[in-house]
Amino acid sequence: MLARLIPVSLAFALLQVALRFRDDADLARRLRERDAGAMRELYEHYGRLIYSLIQRMVRNSAAAEDLVQETFLRIWNRMPAFDQERGALGPWVLTVARNRAIDYLRSADGRMSAGALDLDRLEHPGQFCDIDNRALSLDRARMLKEAFEKLTPNQKTVIELAYFEGLSQTEMADRMQQPLGTIKTWVRSALKVLREQLTEAATV
Amino acid sequence: MGPFGAKGIAGTTHGGRYRMSCENLRDSYELYALGLLDGEEKREIDEHLARNCVDCQKHLKNALAVNALLLSQAPQVVPPSRLKRRVMASVGRERSGFAWIAALAAAAAVIVALWLGIQQRTTDRELAKVRLDLQQSTGERDRLEQALTFLNQPETRQVNFGLDKPLRGNFFLNPRLGVLLIASNLPALPAGKAYELWVIPKGGPPRPAGTFQADPQGTAMHILNGTVDSNVTLAVTVEPEAGSPAPTSDILFSAGF
Repeated sequence: MLARLIPVSLAFALLQVALRFRDDADLARRLRERDAGAMRELYEHYGRLIYSLIQRMVRNSAAAEDLVQETFLRIWNRMPAFDQERGALGPWVLTVARNRAIDYLRSADGRMSAGALDLDRLEHPGQFCDIDNRALSLDRARMLKEAFEKLTPNQKTVIELAYFEGLSQTEMADRMQQPLGTIKTWVRSALKVLREQLTEAATV
Repeated sequence: MGPFGAKGIAGTTHGGRYRMSCENLRDSYELYALGLLDGEEKREIDEHLARNCVDCQKHLKNALAVNALLLSQAPQVVPPSRLKRRVMASVGRERSGFAWIAALAAAAAVIVALWLGIQQRTTDRELAKVRLDLQQSTGERDRLEQALTFLNQPETRQVNFGLDKPLRGNFFLNPRLGVLLIASNLPALPAGKAYELWVIPKGGPPRPAGTFQADPQGTAMHILNGTVDSNVTLAVTVEPEAGSPAPTSDILFSAGF
């Protein structure tokens, strides 16, 4: 009985993932057509994810709300440059959200806009073409969590500092009172573990 | 595969400056995509990308996917519900802030409309009842007027019946106008039954002259309109409500003129 159920549940999960990506392509098409219903749907898909990310980064609810609003407005305004067929909506939306939080953090502590132009270039919708649509799939999220658990405490810290606090390696070295070389080693080795785990899983 | 291809592990020198291969840079694309890379490595990746290095493009896409996945792992918190309204308002697709007032007004309008509908139905029902009462009253008044007219005519003759019994009354006969019957203490009838008046001519069979009911006190007034022979016998029997063509029960009371 169980043996029969597992393939069915797996097929169902895969179907859900497939439907979600098909939905994203359709959603992108409707957003490009300035369909207000699609904007509401976009918020329903990603609003919580984005709010969670920004709240984690800025740790201030009022600022987080402003930045979520800014994120969606930016997505809405830049939608015409997004490729509905080849673009990956989720990764783009998350990147825009993360960059809004980084801008806020940098302006808040005077690290003003060292890489503002870079951030703008790196979140251009064109960058998100031909990214695997399964980038944010539940399977990959599970694999990432498993890989993250394998990291040492120092490796976990530098990943958190890079992704959620927006610190450069030099800034991490200051914060953690460690030589820059050590920080670089921790960062690279951590990213390598995470990346390889995901790549390996994708090729199995 | 060019000098910057994925297989170029060792890197090359170019114009006296050491240049890293894509593979040397392999662990830097995530930080680059986050805008956190600086120094020589950042310049190298910028240069590779500027030359449309295919491997670098691929590594960058992969890094963007890894970054997005990591960013999606922030601890989940539920945004306040007003945030959705703010977002929709910011793209000009929803009235902000006061939209709930419109919703409230719409809800109130629906409630008022429903209440008015119920009131209207109640009023209609009451009006129908009053109209019916009025019709009944008008009918009663007309019948009484008719009875008075009947009684006032000089040729109207009266015969009473059951003087020493509880069930008693009067027949009034006017050859030109018809017959008026007034009776008291009529017994209550079972459902589906009615009293029926008969006009029985001399030597002829009884002719049906209409059915009637008594009021709860047992009093009844019945009028037969039309010309009637002046020497008939009048009788009342109990019949089915719709009336019978000929009597089907014993005579309850009668009187001859």
